[in-house]
Amino acid sequence: MIKHHPTFELLQSFVNGDLPASLSAGIAIHADMCQECQRQISQLTDQIAEANFEFEANFLDRFIIDEEKDLDEIATIDFDDMIAGITASDEIEVLKEKEDKFISFNDTNYKLPDALHNMVLGKPAQIGKLSRSRIQLDEDEIHSSLLHIKPGGGVPEHTHKGFELTLLLDGSFEDEQGTYVKGDFIMLNSEHQHHPVSEHGCLCYTVANDALHFTKGINKLLNPIGSFIY
Amino acid sequence: MQTNLLCKETNAKSIKMSDEIDHPQLCLWLKAVSENRNKQAFTHLFNFFAPKIIRIARSKFPNEAQANEVVQETMSNVWRKAHLFNQDKGAATTWVYTVMRNVTFDMLRKVKANKEDNLSDDIWPIAEGLVSDDDAYEDHLETENLKAVIDNLPESQREVVKGFYFMEMTQEQLAEKLNLPLGTIKSRLRLALAKLKVKLGENHD
Ligand SMILES: [Zn+2]
Repeated sequence: MIKHHPTFELLQSFVNGDLPASLSAGIAIHADMCQECQRQISQLTDQIAEANFEFEANFLDRFIIDEEKDLDEIATIDFDDMIAGITASDEIEVLKEKEDKFISFNDTNYKLPDALHNMVLGKPAQIGKLSRSRIQLDEDEIHSSLLHIKPGGGVPEHTHKGFELTLLLDGSFEDEQGTYVKGDFIMLNSEHQHHPVSEHGCLCYTVANDALHFTKGINKLLNPIGSFIY
Repeated sequence: MQTNLLCKETNAKSIKMSDEIDHPQLCLWLKAVSENRNKQAFTHLFNFFAPKIIRIARSKFPNEAQANEVVQETMSNVWRKAHLFNQDKGAATTWVYTVMRNVTFDMLRKVKANKEDNLSDDIWPIAEGLVSDDDAYEDHLETENLKAVIDNLPESQREVVKGFYFMEMTQEQLAEKLNLPLGTIKSRLRLALAKLKVKLGENHD
């Protein structure tokens, strides 16, 4: 059963459209697997929509009296022109049926989550039991990947300077806190230190805004590959 | 609850955040656009939403032309996608909001990351929309039953119960929102719960 969910604040920013594409996709994928978060998102969307349009109605009234300069700016759009332009077209949106897409790691085919359908995936690179495919979102210091861990593989003990999201798409892994299963949404910050191991193998969607930092003994030598994994 | 026959109202409606928004009317306009390509109805929708969308977009884009583009894009999508609006799944304001949010998201990505990958419809699929309330609750019959009982409460108690249980607001938040003393909220909630217990008990027998 899924035990780890996005925080209320994250869901709120998600609904507002304020999160980067990488994190938005993570929440969308989780909500596809989690009824509870789906319900919350749906309620939040109702409330936020209402608040936005309601607030704007009141706000507009106030501001029309107060600020003539802004009023001029609004008047720069010719609404009638725009309406005429839009309604001149007879086109309606025809929905294309979604085709499932797959990605293959270690000779296993995994169904790609819908939210990732139009993202560009880099060629998988491999180190030991880890393979990852970078997702080309171009979000500066934020890196998103699909990370596959073969049975018995793991990520050496590490901390991160920023945040690190791990969303389990398939399989399971374990760390000091317990076992994580498909759908779990695990958001860690720089205070956390962990050492996930996957006994049976797993596929994760990961988003991190800084390279991993390995903390223990010989593993410190691995720091250059921290940036490989996430 | 005659209006419910026309269009599901947003949850938020029940706690009086929106006395000024005529939800059933917005739904009818959307329907007229979708079924008859009715330009008059579209003009009404445009006049209602466009000024609000401009204000919201201006807070996200420094550039006036970009804010205007959000209006243009959002309202074009409303015209082209009106048939995808499902009134059983949510209010018209919710649907237009999601259309606007998606347009804004794609445009911001274009501005910031210089990417024209239009990911928003994959992240927030417009067509599937939101889960209906029915899907969300595990026991459909039980929920319907509960809703009916709640709808029969006096207005003053109903809004408190809905806010507290359906919107998961705290009693303090409700007091603030409804502009009532906390004690009043508490006693209304208590009264309502006593009634609900009796009513639901009856129904179970
Ligand atoms: Zn969840």
